[in-house]
Amino acid sequence: MQLGFIGFGAMGRPMAEHLLRAGHSLAVWSRRPESAAALLALGATWCATPADVAGRAEVVCTNVTGSADVEDLAFGSQGLAQGFAQAGLHVDFSTIAPSAARHLTARYAAQGVDFVDAPVSGGSGGARNASLAIMWGGKSALATRLQPIFSVLGKTIVHAGDAGAGQVVKACNQMVMVAAIEAAAEAARLARASGVDFARVRTAMLGGSAGSRVLDVFGGRMVQQNYAPGVEARLHQKDYALLMDEATRLGVPLPVSAAVGQQLNALMSQGWARHDTSALLRVLAAGAEADPQG
Amino acid sequence: MNVGFIGLGLMGRPMALHLEKAGHSLHLWARRPESLAPFAAVNAKTHASPAEVAKHAEVVIVMVADAPDVERVCLGEDGLAAGGKPGLVVVDMSTINPNAARTIGQRLAEKGIEFVDAPVSGGETGAINAALTVMVGGKPAAFEKVKPLLEKMGKSVTLIGDSGAGQVAKACNQILTGVGVLAVAEAFNFAAKSGVDPGKVREALLGGFAYSKILENHGQRMLDRNFKPGFKAWMHQKDLRIVMEEAHRLGLMLPSAAATAQIFNAIVGSGMGENDSIAALKLLEKMSTPE
Repeated sequence: MQLGFIGFGAMGRPMAEHLLRAGHSLAVWSRRPESAAALLALGATWCATPADVAGRAEVVCTNVTGSADVEDLAFGSQGLAQGFAQAGLHVDFSTIAPSAARHLTARYAAQGVDFVDAPVSGGSGGARNASLAIMWGGKSALATRLQPIFSVLGKTIVHAGDAGAGQVVKACNQMVMVAAIEAAAEAARLARASGVDFARVRTAMLGGSAGSRVLDVFGGRMVQQNYAPGVEARLHQKDYALLMDEATRLGVPLPVSAAVGQQLNALMSQGWARHDTSALLRVLAAGAEADPQG
Repeated sequence: MNVGFIGLGLMGRPMALHLEKAGHSLHLWARRPESLAPFAAVNAKTHASPAEVAKHAEVVIVMVADAPDVERVCLGEDGLAAGGKPGLVVVDMSTINPNAARTIGQRLAEKGIEFVDAPVSGGETGAINAALTVMVGGKPAAFEKVKPLLEKMGKSVTLIGDSGAGQVAKACNQILTGVGVLAVAEAFNFAAKSGVDPGKVREALLGGFAYSKILENHGQRMLDRNFKPGFKAWMHQKDLRIVMEEAHRLGLMLPSAAATAQIFNAIVGSGMGENDSIAALKLLEKMSTPE
């Protein structure tokens, strides 16, 4: 299939490579052209603007940071919307506000272009191993067009519902996952403070009812005190702003998520934005240090 | 003085009338013309746009709902910036995000217009009785110019610091009042569920270190089960949203405010947003009573 791809970060680059290797043609553009070099070497075609990418592709995939980045790519000057032919399709893998996804869908619809919000879970490891979970929102009739793309990138593909539904699933995913990271960190803190080796605690728990992938992966990083990302904590902090904003808009109380969001804020003020989110353990350790003034 | 006033709602109307009573000439604009009716018989001139108001006034006071409204009035088409001469002072008494206040201030400064953030505490009663607490951020010279006006609307007028500092003080105020109302509601619900009269608890506590105006006033209204606003729960929810947005921007943990904000989400989500903030008590009762 003739595809476009924009956004070559830790997630986007391996995803684009999988699409090329699966035999799709890829038109690419990047604000920093050097980030696309590896893909050009694999046979991707460079375009001068996002509009050019859309003009050459049946489907354009994007993977950037926030709602504003996606909106700018789509409807900024020389944006995708200017290049799309009728029945064009924009698939966005970024994590953005559900309301932003709905808004983009409505704006594209006015020119006969479809939009799909398809955030992913699984981190850069999942992107490299093509084992991502993909949760998408949009018209169900688009499933057959999306299948040859999604099947190359991920293992679990779920159509969550209409526009924005993929982002709602992603918000739920982030709540459950980061709350579990915080719980693992608190367990590690309690074990250490009690003089018990958390490595053994983790091994024991993995065999019981508290076993989880988070305890395995993030708990493992806590055992090794290895805070190289995985997922940079600043991205989780960004996601928490989105989901707490939705909670306020909907009038839904999320007491645990609110508390976890504050631990992420504390992590940011310690200067660990680019650490892995398992650094939530360091936040607890910092809070337990003796008062430097007394 | 020729004073512009934009935002003639529950708070703005009595505030503007205090200024008129003190002898100032009002210049008004309103999105909904019916808001202008109470000013038909007083010394007030109605204009077609905020820009026109700015042309006729030395100081313009803004009292609207949230940051996008302030932005529209100040910087939108036919906004204050389009009509204001250099030297005009715009006083925004709405409660908005401190960072938004700083940005609006900078953009007005490009036109030579001074911007002062001056949010208030004290609610509708405070506005009617000219007893508001006014927290001001801005340059000292601009503050001195508008201080006599603010003193006609408030009892306590304090320059807190630079642009945005007034909104920071207001955010602090909302942390204390939000957490405070919830604390009193929790204590009363705890007492009642323990079979103890919350009224007696309140009376005893007023004499000790737990004394606060919230325990005294909001506490009494909880005992009277008088949920009429006062200060509406949805507005407190909005103000806590501002607080939590700033905490996120600064990377700052505010654990109690975060927990409190969730209770306000539940109050609004369960249809009690138009109640006073003390509806926190009703919510806690609902959540601690079997179906």
